[in-house]
Amino acid sequence: MLNGELLYKGSEEEPFADFIKMAYKNLETDYSKFFKMDSLSKLAFLGADVLLKHENVVPEMEENIALVFSNNASSLDTDRKYQKSIEDNDNFYPSPAVFVYTLPNICMGEISIKHKLYSENSFFIFENFNPDYLYAYSAGLIEENKAEKVLCGWVNVDKEEYTAFLYLVTKEKTEIPHTIKEINSRY
Amino acid sequence: MNKGVAITGMGIISAIGNNVEENYSSLISGNKGISRISKINTIHKNAIMVGEIAFTNKELEEQLGISPDNNYSRTALIGLVAAKEAIKDANILDIAAYKTGLISATSVGGMDMTEKYYYDYLESDAHRKYIEGHHAGDSTQKIAEELGVKESLVTTISTACSSAANAIMYGARLIKSGKLDRVVVGGADCLSKFTINGFKTLMILSDTYNTPFDENRKGLNLGEAAAFLVLESDALVAKENKKVLAYVKGYGNANDAYHQTASSENGDGATLAMEKALKVANLRPEAIDYINAHGTATGNNDLSEGRAILRVFKDAVPDFSSTKPYTGHTLAAAGGIEAVYSILALQNNVVFPNLNFTTPMKEFAIRPQVEIKEKELNTVLSNSLGFGGNCSTVIFSK
Repeated sequence: MLNGELLYKGSEEEPFADFIKMAYKNLETDYSKFFKMDSLSKLAFLGADVLLKHENVVPEMEENIALVFSNNASSLDTDRKYQKSIEDNDNFYPSPAVFVYTLPNICMGEISIKHKLYSENSFFIFENFNPDYLYAYSAGLIEENKAEKVLCGWVNVDKEEYTAFLYLVTKEKTEIPHTIKEINSRY
Repeated sequence: MNKGVAITGMGIISAIGNNVEENYSSLISGNKGISRISKINTIHKNAIMVGEIAFTNKELEEQLGISPDNNYSRTALIGLVAAKEAIKDANILDIAAYKTGLISATSVGGMDMTEKYYYDYLESDAHRKYIEGHHAGDSTQKIAEELGVKESLVTTISTACSSAANAIMYGARLIKSGKLDRVVVGGADCLSKFTINGFKTLMILSDTYNTPFDENRKGLNLGEAAAFLVLESDALVAKENKKVLAYVKGYGNANDAYHQTASSENGDGATLAMEKALKVANLRPEAIDYINAHGTATGNNDLSEGRAILRVFKDAVPDFSSTKPYTGHTLAAAGGIEAVYSILALQNNVVFPNLNFTTPMKEFAIRPQVEIKEKELNTVLSNSLGFGGNCSTVIFSK
């Protein structure tokens, strides 16, 4: 969904891996590095990509867009995969390609690399979606001129459960006010 | 005029000395601390060289007067040695007299004990006490307790090789904003199989002495070290008539936005970090007298950092050198030990040599300072560039 408009719908039964691959194809995202990302990065990357493209953010502009993300499963989904690759003595293969994704904030790195964001970024782990914190943190970044815009939200992957909710806060006022109430109503 | 945040004490333990004085003496006499590894039994022992601290854990425990049934990792032990020296150097008798914080950096944490006893944990409870010492925050908590830092701000920063530089930056900001009167900042990292094997996998460990900014550089030597600074507010300095060693004049942190482990070809993040630090310090590039480079001696870092230095300083690059040939790359602690070296450079008006350099790199004409050089120094810029593109610069001044 983008601003209430459905962009792509997967089927109920579909595993995450198939869903995200089809979404990538349907959204015409042409970025070969996508395929080596872990699930969390794929989800965050696609969410950010549709939103930033819609907002006409182009890498060449090197805009000062901060990233403030959150979730409650950290990188557990990939941590488990990595653990599996090292727990069997006969089939021991600690792949560096998997290892690099055993941190949640790597997904922000992937977005930064694609969109050329040399800006502030922070990833928070909360029990539940925490609009109060996200609001205060992003409003602070804008007020203190640390960023022109803030890409904010909740990106969570835990086995087959996944959610991505991202929004862009800007310095200039838009028709959607930046308030905790508004964030809650759209989540 | 922004004079910066006052530094009133420092402490250090590294492969080239167990305190500030010993480190300085090694720096000016060109004594490297790089050798074959002796304290960790690794299959790579003949393929790598490291910067090891001379003391065993037992010796460190005895010096610190910690009971033998402790659960200190080596990171916590060396961290406490350096932090105590810094407190003593700052002549702090009652730490609770002012609102004092501790910001400590580490990447290894208690991994040394975990890898030693991991399989043993399942069999017996003899070493299970170390499980609680595993996480990165444990060494910070232990140092805070030993120093008597309570009820203020105690936190741990783990942003790979820029960690301690970020701890200094965060501490300086807390003083500037008046949140704390005093803060102990720095970091500690011990050697572990975890980092040896990790860097070995990335194929960036040299099998001989590391040679920063040399055309034929073969990679880095890992090292272990800890270093801390005491930062104090102007009000505290005036009230207690404290001796100021130097000032944290500027700082900057930027995202390289390039790769999980590699630095960008043209050092985008490092360039931004240096520019931001100069802006905070309100200095023009020509005001920098000496750069303590990150200079890890990997193919990628030295090219990327060298290009970034050229982008910032153009055709007037000041004297620069990397002190990694002395200590090895001490990861999260590097920004702390190089802060101590930058302050020593300012105090003694001396540029430390970039040891082991023989052949200039073909990509650019700049060359590190290879001999010890005495000259009047007013400002030293120190770079710490971390994995994940976390690039930091701190500027120190008299």
